[in-house]
Amino acid sequence: MAQTEKFVLNMGPQHPSTHGVLQVQVELDGENIVGAKPVMGYLHRGIEKLMESRTYQQCVPFTDRLDYVSAMNNNLGFCMAVEKLAGIEVPERAWYIRTICCELNRIASHHVFIGSLTNDLGSATGMIYAFRDREKILDLFNIICGARMTCHYIRIGGVAADAQDEFFQKTEEFINYVPEMLDEYNRLFTGNEIFQRRMQGTSIISREDALRFGMSGPNIRASGLSYDIRKLDKYGIYGKLDFEVPIGENGDNWDRYLIRIREIEESARIIRQCLDNMPGGAFKGKVPKVLKPPKGDAYQRVENTRGELGFYIVSDGTAKPYRVHIRRPSFINLQALDHMCRGMVLADSVTAFATIDPLMGEVDC
Amino acid sequence: MHNGTLYLAGESLKEMLLPVIGSELLVNLIMTLICIVILFLLVATSALVFTLGERKVCAWIQVRIGPNRVGPWGLLQSTADMLKLLTKEDIIPQGIDRWLWVLSPILIFIPAAMVYALYPFDDGVIFADVNIGLFLLIAISSQSVLPFLMGGYASNSKYAMLGGMRTVAQMLSYEVPMVISLMGIIMITGSLKMSAIVEAQSEIWFIFLQPIAFFIFLVTALVEGNRPPFNMVEGESEIIAGPFTEYTGMRWALFFLAEFANLLSMGILTATLFLGGWQGPDFLPTQLWFWIKAFLMVLVYQWIGWTFPRTRMDTILSFGWKVLLPLALLNLLLTGFGIYIFKWLL
Amino acid sequence: MGTYLELHYLEELKRDFPTIEFAAEQAEPHIYVSEEELLPLMRRLRENPVFSFDRMGNITAVDYREYIEMVYMLYSRGFDKWVTVKCRLDREKPVAESMTQVWPGTEFEEREIYDLMGVEFLHHPDLRRILMPDNYTAHPLRKDFVPLQPKIEGGVLTWHRQKSSS
Repeated sequence: MAQTEKFVLNMGPQHPSTHGVLQVQVELDGENIVGAKPVMGYLHRGIEKLMESRTYQQCVPFTDRLDYVSAMNNNLGFCMAVEKLAGIEVPERAWYIRTICCELNRIASHHVFIGSLTNDLGSATGMIYAFRDREKILDLFNIICGARMTCHYIRIGGVAADAQDEFFQKTEEFINYVPEMLDEYNRLFTGNEIFQRRMQGTSIISREDALRFGMSGPNIRASGLSYDIRKLDKYGIYGKLDFEVPIGENGDNWDRYLIRIREIEESARIIRQCLDNMPGGAFKGKVPKVLKPPKGDAYQRVENTRGELGFYIVSDGTAKPYRVHIRRPSFINLQALDHMCRGMVLADSVTAFATIDPLMGEVDC
Repeated sequence: MHNGTLYLAGESLKEMLLPVIGSELLVNLIMTLICIVILFLLVATSALVFTLGERKVCAWIQVRIGPNRVGPWGLLQSTADMLKLLTKEDIIPQGIDRWLWVLSPILIFIPAAMVYALYPFDDGVIFADVNIGLFLLIAISSQSVLPFLMGGYASNSKYAMLGGMRTVAQMLSYEVPMVISLMGIIMITGSLKMSAIVEAQSEIWFIFLQPIAFFIFLVTALVEGNRPPFNMVEGESEIIAGPFTEYTGMRWALFFLAEFANLLSMGILTATLFLGGWQGPDFLPTQLWFWIKAFLMVLVYQWIGWTFPRTRMDTILSFGWKVLLPLALLNLLLTGFGIYIFKWLL
Repeated sequence: MGTYLELHYLEELKRDFPTIEFAAEQAEPHIYVSEEELLPLMRRLRENPVFSFDRMGNITAVDYREYIEMVYMLYSRGFDKWVTVKCRLDREKPVAESMTQVWPGTEFEEREIYDLMGVEFLHHPDLRRILMPDNYTAHPLRKDFVPLQPKIEGGVLTWHRQKSSS
């Protein structure tokens, strides 16, 4: 009588496809996964603690290092929270520039998603194509603020510097390129039989489960729930813009992939509207040099590329925040990993990591 | 009777040596030794050429430039790689089955190099033109399963173990459709002799007579050679490098040497069995035709490999047993009928 | 931005949960609740169809030196409403009911609070340290935190308090 035994496979923290330093203890029965436990903390830098000893302005660069592939969105979340706490007005032009930057960054982040997903599925070619196009966005950031990834461009009260005509012109060129780019992706991956076979019907998260795990961002939308903070809260100028929130049906890996492809389209639409209606005026509101918000607390959430990013700031009336808490979407989304991997084979676990799209800088904070 | 370029070159060398040495037996012995050296050089250079070639082709497909720093067009890249691998620390992990672990990279190289003895490189140029050529070829190449399993088992690593298991599962299940798909060729040729198979294609290549078999062979060759999209053995995003995970430096390089030797092997075999081997129109020498076809097939394999994502283990196995095997059997049946109809028409 | 839970709902809650307090004159009055009534109140907020706070928007703890305050920010998708519930815990031995009983998705966040702030959660499915090493003894987000010194003893990484705090 043959006897089989379950064994635990430690995937990571040094593994080609754990997107940084995530460790997953996968319990295997042959190639079938019985359980997957994420273990994290390898990239823990204590950003929340570090922020307590910095002034509000000095805190902003830390947010770049949270979700380092969508730094702009993180800057925005923190700055909005401080603005809410201190009651700072942001001029409209700053909002338009902020929105363009955030949406560009969303596209860039989805490029990383597509790239790492295709790489994890064994097609290194896909990664190169996605990263090639991401480079175009990073060059745009280079024009606007001199940095490519950790931009620190969105500041409290506005943005760091006014955007030049060159930036708008190049952005428009990029937006015109987006349909061609997506067409290429669709021909290379979306239409690929192996790609579809591997992703359709695997790692399904139902609506109830997505809600239960507190998921957000494209992951919850793939499960069929329309939950987008941009639409719900209409923060900034998102209320004035015309865009759709793509929603999936089955909540499988395939939907999570398609949602991102469609989000790139929507982001491009948003950027075009911003470019067309760009107002003049100041790029930064009045912010005191030494910012001392009144006592109290404020919570601000924004739609990050990975979901609902929230900053909870407690002020004690001094120039430094008393306590900062960051609600990191990837951290919470990661709870679904075990559920997604159960009953799948080892190869699918990698796809599941990739489609949750966790970023260890954000998970470990 | 033979008039291949390489054959004629060999004959003239023989004629030159004969008056110098005198004994025909000794000359034949020297010629055999020369052949062995050439074959090994071929296997070794194939690795050198393909490390660069693979990277260049991959870069071309991936809209990159590829290696271009070492030497003109990066030609010395593979030499630099080799030197680097030679000078690397030889890490021997703890708790391994030492003998199996050391033997595995060496053993994997043997079948990869041995099959070259059975390839008809040119008209009359074949190291061992035995009458069970194709059978022997399959028998030898199927031995490469064992070193993978040995390496995987001996490494004392779960990734390597999984990789080794996968290799056995996929190679064993794909050997069946591969052999059955080649049966059609044997039925038409009426011989297992490699030179006979090539000569049977002087009128029409087997790719036209046996399109289904060609397709099956293409897929199974990719699986047997661990080429993407079927490189489950390595599956670098899941099991890191499969059985090679714990190997470093030159031991690891031996695995790669074998892999590139296999890649060229696949190209040659496909060209020989389906594309008429060394045969071709007269405006080019036969030897050139042979290499053009072989490299073209290698390019096709690389092209497939760099375009598609990797398939999943269970899909691979069910595809092999549920699709390819029935298809191969159907092909066998059709070939049988075809031969009878052909005979009846004559 | 969604609206805050209206005052009359809060007063309604006050009838059933006598220990809750809120400053009615504020624009967005936070609910302060005692440890004992925390879980029933949260259950009520989650399950009552009038509010149906189905998302735990934000869960965190703040060290105010005299006490530790748990902050729960609940969001209702259906009604687009917010409410903030706060609960003050004893700083020496902070214990609270785990919200995983109501919102299972708070598992990791509560583990993080346990790890960094030292709040113990009752009825949590898997209460372990999540970011810091398992054998770490301090809680970094506390205001009086002094980093521990790493030391390798017998091949195992251990953590020690500094001898003299300068």
